[in-house]
Amino acid sequence: MSDNPYQDDHGNKDATITNTKGMGTMTPAHRESGETHYVGGGPFLIGDSMTGGYGKGPDILHDCTIAVDKGEIAVIVGPNGAGKSTAMKAVFGMLNVRSGSVRLDGEDITNLSPQDRVIKGMGFVPQTSNIFTSMTVQENLEMGAFIRTDDFSDTMEQVFELFPILREKRNQPAGELSGGQRQQVAVGRALMTKPKVLMLDEPTAGVSPIVMDELFDRIIEVSRTGLPILMVEQNARQALEIADKGYVLVQGRNAYTGTGKELLADPEVRKSFLGG
Amino acid sequence: MSEPVKNTLLFVLVGALILLTGFMQSWNSALMILNMGLISAIMAIGVNLQWGFAGLFNVGVMGFVALGGLAVVLVSTPPTPGAWTAGGFGILLALLLGAATIFAAVMIAQKMPKGRMRTLTMIVVLVAGFFVFRAVFDPNVAAVEAISPATSGHIGGLNLPVLLAWPAGGLFAAGAAWLIGKTALGLRSDYLAIATLGIAEIIIAVMKNEDWLARGVKNVIGLPRPVPYEIDLQNDPGFIERASSLGLDPVTASTLYVKLGYSVLFLIVLLVLLWMAQMALKSPWGRMMRAIRDNEVAAEAMGKDVTRRHLQIFVLGSAVCGIAGAMMTTLDGQLTPGTYQPLRFTFLVWVMVIVGGSGNNFGAVLGAMLIWFLWVQVEPIGLWLMQVLTAGLPDGSALKTHLLDSAAHMRLLTMGVVLLLVLRFSPRGLIPEK
Amino acid sequence: MDFLNALVALSNFVLVPAIAYGSQLALGALGVTLIYGILRFSNFAHGDTMAFGAMIAVLVTWWMQSVGIGLGPLPTALLALPFAILGCMILVLITDRLVYRFYREQKAKPVILVIVSMGVMFIMNGLVRFIIGPDDQRFADGERFLISAREFKQLTGLKEGLAIKTTQGITVVVAVIAVALLFWFLNKTRTGKSMRAYSDNEDLALLSGINPERVVMYTWLIVAALATTAGVLYGLDKSFKPFVYFQLLLPIFASAIVGGLGNPLGAIAGGFIIAFSEVTITYAWKKVLTYLMPESLEPSGLVQLLSTDYKFAVSFVILLIVLLFKPTGLFKGKAV
Repeated sequence: MSDNPYQDDHGNKDATITNTKGMGTMTPAHRESGETHYVGGGPFLIGDSMTGGYGKGPDILHDCTIAVDKGEIAVIVGPNGAGKSTAMKAVFGMLNVRSGSVRLDGEDITNLSPQDRVIKGMGFVPQTSNIFTSMTVQENLEMGAFIRTDDFSDTMEQVFELFPILREKRNQPAGELSGGQRQQVAVGRALMTKPKVLMLDEPTAGVSPIVMDELFDRIIEVSRTGLPILMVEQNARQALEIADKGYVLVQGRNAYTGTGKELLADPEVRKSFLGG
Repeated sequence: MSEPVKNTLLFVLVGALILLTGFMQSWNSALMILNMGLISAIMAIGVNLQWGFAGLFNVGVMGFVALGGLAVVLVSTPPTPGAWTAGGFGILLALLLGAATIFAAVMIAQKMPKGRMRTLTMIVVLVAGFFVFRAVFDPNVAAVEAISPATSGHIGGLNLPVLLAWPAGGLFAAGAAWLIGKTALGLRSDYLAIATLGIAEIIIAVMKNEDWLARGVKNVIGLPRPVPYEIDLQNDPGFIERASSLGLDPVTASTLYVKLGYSVLFLIVLLVLLWMAQMALKSPWGRMMRAIRDNEVAAEAMGKDVTRRHLQIFVLGSAVCGIAGAMMTTLDGQLTPGTYQPLRFTFLVWVMVIVGGSGNNFGAVLGAMLIWFLWVQVEPIGLWLMQVLTAGLPDGSALKTHLLDSAAHMRLLTMGVVLLLVLRFSPRGLIPEK
Repeated sequence: MDFLNALVALSNFVLVPAIAYGSQLALGALGVTLIYGILRFSNFAHGDTMAFGAMIAVLVTWWMQSVGIGLGPLPTALLALPFAILGCMILVLITDRLVYRFYREQKAKPVILVIVSMGVMFIMNGLVRFIIGPDDQRFADGERFLISAREFKQLTGLKEGLAIKTTQGITVVVAVIAVALLFWFLNKTRTGKSMRAYSDNEDLALLSGINPERVVMYTWLIVAALATTAGVLYGLDKSFKPFVYFQLLLPIFASAIVGGLGNPLGAIAGGFIIAFSEVTITYAWKKVLTYLMPESLEPSGLVQLLSTDYKFAVSFVILLIVLLFKPTGLFKGKAV
């Protein structure tokens, strides 16, 4: 039995009455948005000394800071369970941030719901289930542009230019694509909102090394358009190589921070996280 | 207020409601509510075993209850003279042939290699089996139904004591449940809900239409009773004397005596079943069942045979419902297949379990007694309410007549409201699982 | 000639009724499948939602008949349909606001919603009986037949007649229009696509800025429209009786599951499969066979595979067979 009497596992296996596929798992910290206020200054997007955890659970992040500025790629790396994805989710509003703040372009958005952060210009690509498998590639992209009321055909054109394979497969259900292609759809979907900042949660998880290199190339290409990118990566070395800024997290705290090159050169970081 | 005190108070409250009925309406009504309340409590224990302990969604309670009722006819009524020789054995043979056909089809499905050949063989076996079945079945049914159709026209029963029909009802329901569980449980996902919903309708359809079995919608009346008849009591001088010493006239006294007799019998069965359910709940078996319910994946990973356990508890719970069904038909003294309706016999029992507290046997019993009380009493209360509300309207106005006529339907509305209120404000029920 | 007669008899007693019944089931199953796909539970109150919508149509029809509004040869109920849909929409939106929304906020598991829908079922059932009573109500008017058996015989000179009731014709036409509209909406419009997206992946829909409450609202509106349409068509074709609508739940669920729960195309196919099997298996084939077989082989009995009272059994057996061999339904549904 769980704490919430409505969330017992009871009888949910009966597929003739319950449909658990594609059910929501996100637990936004704020269902309804609170106030925002302008603070000014600082990097374009910053999660500033965040401490917090899921719901009423224990703190997972401790005084953790991550930031990305215009035209940069910032990468969060660290061992398994270091809270990399959690830090990203905190910035996106899916974690109860008990102290510290999140600021976008000088505006304190700590109390905004995730949906409103999307509207403010944050694009987020989750690690898993990041495409609509039953919809075509084109429909996936259209759904990415759902909040836009203007004509988004040129954005779609840009996405197709960036990921030519998607143009080819535009009328295929996205669920039928290969792992790497799915990730392209996922990134493409996020780009359709014309975000001011793009957040990627382990975009290369589970793809082959060749596909991984290609995905990194694409990410650099996206970043060249001036879009700041905040990215969590398992493959620390490759990620730091393309990173302008790197954050090494250990147990929910900032362990090392610096430019990608600095971190790659740091003997401590090399020894502990990059395997020598 | 501590947990046991609160629970005791809840039971006392239900008892007080029934007593109040006795004082304000009549003791006959009070005992009627009590008796059906006790039977409902047994049904609720059955559903609670399945849903509360194991998380199995059974929406075919009605079918199992009806099978229990059928058992009463087949066990306790005298056999129709000549029916067995006329066609009874033929029918039995036909049913065996039918079962053999299905068994053969299942065997083919399991043993033969997949492919067109298998499908074809299966279809041939099934179709041929069906026509053979009908060829043997139809004439024999006609023969049985031709025997004095106005009074019997069915094969009758075994003429055994009616109390034996209660466990038999449980067995009938258990058999049906085993068949359903075997097919619907433990596929890649369960289909129990729709399977039970369907099978319940089929059981009722069979009971309505197979006149040779229990006269269908022509009903079987005058079933044997485990308690004396009122008329015998009224002719018994000893009884009349005792009644008058209590200040009761013989007619009232005899009806009360009979109903009390039923109450005692039902209470004994309820207490035995409740005790068994409690023992099961606390046993390692019960703990495992709840562990499976709360996390099936983990239980499976620990090597538990989830499907087997589910089948066990599904059969057990259905058997309990079957026993309750047999008891109910005994109380009614007649089997009337036309009166089985899912709202009353499936969904109302669900309301009882959810309101009482799923996963808690005492909760189920409490819920059953309380909901049954409401089910009976909402109608007069509704009527009274309507009379008060429409008092200002002129007599004979269409609206007034309509409202007064419609008061009877308030009970469905009330049940829905009660269920929703409990789900909303006390989601684990009045007596939650510990 | 005999062959033609057989064909006409077949159409008259099997094809036409089954097509009409299949359309009604399909519309009902579409509602169930949409709720299942988007709100993620099987709605036990669906039969009673149909009854409620149909009830409003009956009441509005009576009112229209009393003031002399009519459609001539067509049933007045068609004029009442939009009002009935509106009424049903209001009811389901109120229900959602008062009942279901709370559980969404609680992130309740689907099975809780199933139990909640049982409560709603009781309430709607009581409401309908309270307002219109539990009895049979007739509200069909206008021409009874598109073509009657006698006209058909005169027209073709055949021995067998083919009768098509106006209500059967209307059922098929309305169902086709409704289904076409639904598919256009789901596949071509932005809102429709957002509903599919939400059904596919709730989290990602949220991240794309799709408002779940809006999706849910549109779903209820569509379901109310479908349910009312199905209810009115069924009532026109047969008659309106609250309890019958409740009983329709089983064939409707069976249709939705056979086709693959969550898949609209499957719901339609499922509706027709269930309807055709029910009608064929419970039809007495004697007449058709008499035409087709040489005299010596003519059947003596009715050649009825099962008595009509077993039609529920038929839908259930079909369901079981499909599930045993194709657990996700004929069209790939969501249930695995």
